[in-house]
Amino acid sequence: MTEATTQPLLASALNGDRSSLARLLSHIERDPSAETEIRAVLASKETQSVVIGVTGPPGAGKSSLISALLPHTTDSFDRTAVLAVDPTSPFSGGALLGDRVRMQNHGLGDRVLIRSMASKGESGGLARAAATATQVLAACGWPLILLETLGIGQVELDVMDLATVVAVVLNPGWGDTFQANKAGLTEAGDVFVINKADKDGVQQTRADLQDSLSLLQSPVPIQIFETIAVNEDGVAALWQGIKTYLADAQATGLQEQKLRTRRRRLLMRILQSGCEARIEAYCCSDHGSAQVERALAGELSIEALQADLYANISQPE
Amino acid sequence: MQKKSTDKAFFSRSGIELKSFYTGDDIPDGHRDRAAAAPGEAPYHRGFHTSGYRSKPWRIFQLSGFGKPEDENERIKFLLKNGETGFIMEHDRNTADHCYNVDHPEVVARREDVGLTGAVMQSVRDTAICMDGLPVDSSFGHAGGAVVQHAPFALAAYWTVAKQRGFDLAKLPGTGQSDFNLTYLGCVTKEQIPTLPGLQFNADIIEFCDRYLPYWVPVSIAGYNAADTGLSPDQELGVLFANAVEYLDEIKRRGSVDLIKAAKACGGVSFRASIEFIEEACKMRAARLMWADLLRERYGISDPKVANLRIHCVTAGSKMTYQQPLNNIVRGTLMALGAVFGGVQSLGVSGYDEALSIPSEHAHQMSVRIQQILQEETGIANVTDPLGGSYYVETITAQLAEKAWEFFEEIQNQGGYLATLDSGWLHARAAENQYKEFMDMENGDQQVIGVNCFQDDESPFEVDGFMGTDDAFDVATARLQDVLRTRHEKAATAALKQLEADCRSDTNIMPAMMEAMSAEVTLGEIGNVYREVFGNWNTPIQT
Amino acid sequence: MQKRILMAKTGLDGHWRGPTIVARALRDAGFEVIMIGMANTDDIVTSAVDEDVDLVGLNVGGHIDVAIRAIENVRNARPELPIFAGGTITPRAAKQLEGLGVEVYPPGSQLTDIVDAAERLTGTK
Repeated sequence: MTEATTQPLLASALNGDRSSLARLLSHIERDPSAETEIRAVLASKETQSVVIGVTGPPGAGKSSLISALLPHTTDSFDRTAVLAVDPTSPFSGGALLGDRVRMQNHGLGDRVLIRSMASKGESGGLARAAATATQVLAACGWPLILLETLGIGQVELDVMDLATVVAVVLNPGWGDTFQANKAGLTEAGDVFVINKADKDGVQQTRADLQDSLSLLQSPVPIQIFETIAVNEDGVAALWQGIKTYLADAQATGLQEQKLRTRRRRLLMRILQSGCEARIEAYCCSDHGSAQVERALAGELSIEALQADLYANISQPE
Repeated sequence: MQKKSTDKAFFSRSGIELKSFYTGDDIPDGHRDRAAAAPGEAPYHRGFHTSGYRSKPWRIFQLSGFGKPEDENERIKFLLKNGETGFIMEHDRNTADHCYNVDHPEVVARREDVGLTGAVMQSVRDTAICMDGLPVDSSFGHAGGAVVQHAPFALAAYWTVAKQRGFDLAKLPGTGQSDFNLTYLGCVTKEQIPTLPGLQFNADIIEFCDRYLPYWVPVSIAGYNAADTGLSPDQELGVLFANAVEYLDEIKRRGSVDLIKAAKACGGVSFRASIEFIEEACKMRAARLMWADLLRERYGISDPKVANLRIHCVTAGSKMTYQQPLNNIVRGTLMALGAVFGGVQSLGVSGYDEALSIPSEHAHQMSVRIQQILQEETGIANVTDPLGGSYYVETITAQLAEKAWEFFEEIQNQGGYLATLDSGWLHARAAENQYKEFMDMENGDQQVIGVNCFQDDESPFEVDGFMGTDDAFDVATARLQDVLRTRHEKAATAALKQLEADCRSDTNIMPAMMEAMSAEVTLGEIGNVYREVFGNWNTPIQT
Repeated sequence: MQKRILMAKTGLDGHWRGPTIVARALRDAGFEVIMIGMANTDDIVTSAVDEDVDLVGLNVGGHIDVAIRAIENVRNARPELPIFAGGTITPRAAKQLEGLGVEVYPPGSQLTDIVDAAERLTGTK
């Protein structure tokens, strides 16, 4: 998968060909160099797409909520792409990606695109390729992108890097189980959803959340919504709330500020992955692997190895 | 045959470690005294009645149906002529399970499947065709409605037709099923109401039958569906009683039906009879014991008419093999034997072509013949509880009950039966067992004849799947249009509106459902009301 | 790199034992398995395209014509995509599917055979 295939696919995908887009997303997943290449092309393209991150613990109902939101999002934005991330098995490298089951009854035809993605061992809640995939979807004219995170129960801050707005989905009784993560999740969220609000404990969860949120100083008020996604109860109000947040965030300059932070983070990420690739190349080279062996044998100090590494990787390729 | 080593540990399907033989000392102390009770006496594990099958042979009760309502009617009459002693009306699962009419896009997309698993019945007119000439007053009828959200429709349609034919509902015998295990655990439907409104439906049916149909068994919890999804025999018992407790607690909360009568209403259940047939016989015995204990300890009920569990049993469909299908006649016989050793009141034997399709006429007849041979030729019906007193059987009966109560308690600790369906906890238990069973076959620990060993087949008989009729969809479509065109529209609209109002309130939905049937409201319209009012169950598994 | 397999049920019957066990075995063999459950032809085709899968696995229950329609539509959208099928498929129907170039794994098939087929059809082995 080299330029020979990536470039024409990208051109065709940018032209609106759906199966090229699908294949391109696979390239990004499978081949980090294709990813770099695509990002280089897309760097100059400014897109206006809105990215909504949907995060929260497993079983909170993220997929069902997205499914219930689709009629509203397509009403406002015409078309919606969903990127749903599920965990990769650490044992086999395989994955069961089941989010589509809850999402495919939208009846909206080609106006919705759903793509399942395996995390491939990333711990931040999204797959490595999610950032570029989001960029590609945006560049290919998907005005709204919903990003569903793993939901492995940890703080999944990756989504903050990519999303214009982050919706944190919780359930009644959440406070009991996820106390430790509370601070992290409350910082990640711009909008909070207590899903399965027909279960006991809604008031307590709302009170807990409000306590945590009162410590934050957001320029835009952070709202808490109650939904029963499977009945579509409260979903229209949630969508209205998200739209209000987007408008407020734009008006107060928060969105611009987040966008800058996001670009910076993405930039850092690109730099990091470039560095990692160079370190890898160094270690695989005859000279580098010999140096590593020497360091392992105690003949070379770590500092000396580092100095040699920097001297070598700073050379242009 | 694989050499069995002598130092290998042997376990029952419920995970009970088996001894190479049993003595009287193995029977748990608490059980030894009770084991002496005669059949028909508390704690009833030895059987429903002292005279057992001498006075009342088990009912030969086969699932049946396909195609158009008239095709199903013809098959039921064929089975009755061949000696079936009750009848079951199956509804097409594509439409019925989801409460869709045939014009629903999901059904149209699979139009050839329509009528493959039961007749299409979308209005009371279809049900009338299916029931034409059937002895609904003298035979024990099963109206269909195995699925919780479909049961109110199936029952009301059956009762409405019976009423139209001049039968008195107050004397009408029969049952539906309305079982959670079927579509919330076993075959999870694409769309169905959440579990809580489902519980309300079943409580409504129990109330309605209490008032108007005293001879009708309103709900029948099907352990079968849990077991054939993967739960072990002890888990099947535990889940069944955890389910019963949900019904009884709800009825108690409502206070509208005498609890003793409600317990009787819940005391007709169904189990799976699988191939390890001695353990399965023990399971039926343990079930009766557990029901008596449950009613006494939890609800203070010990009336023998109520505390005595009535059991319908179906042989395990999943044990029927695709390969060498005639071998399944033997499997069906052995499984039936286990059920009869367990003293069940009613029995269905899966067709030998079960792994390929719904039963052909011949397979259906064979299922009836197996039961007739057992009843008439083997002498098994002459003595009640023939295994009673066996050191082995009494020990396993007691151990199964003990393990089952542990599982029952686990379910209570998870918030109760419905909570374990909602959370997927039960599905995970079933999946664990499924996987193990599958791997046992895969690595040869479990030999299945004709499947993973002895695969040569010399049979000159070709068994291919029975595919029913090919006009079920077209005829159902025409009939649907006909009903919608010729019914009294104002009455139908009003009845549907009333049903919706009752769904939204605490009112029992069955009177409105009966009105809707009289007004020829169709299944899909009712399903739309459900979807609008209750939304969709959030299925915890990826199917 | 992981190959992607779409797993769909063509019927509305909801039996989940077979497909779940197969999906698990395929995941354990290193595949990314995209499960879409009970799916009609349109769902299957859209998923096969948007998910850019390397293989389609159909769980067939009921009439074979429903499966054949799905197969034909997938072929129209992605002619090169291999398809295999399992479930309640009669011997007669199995011959029909095999005639269409679809491999059939009826009840009682060994998981290792199914995994082998997936590896062969996706060129993993």
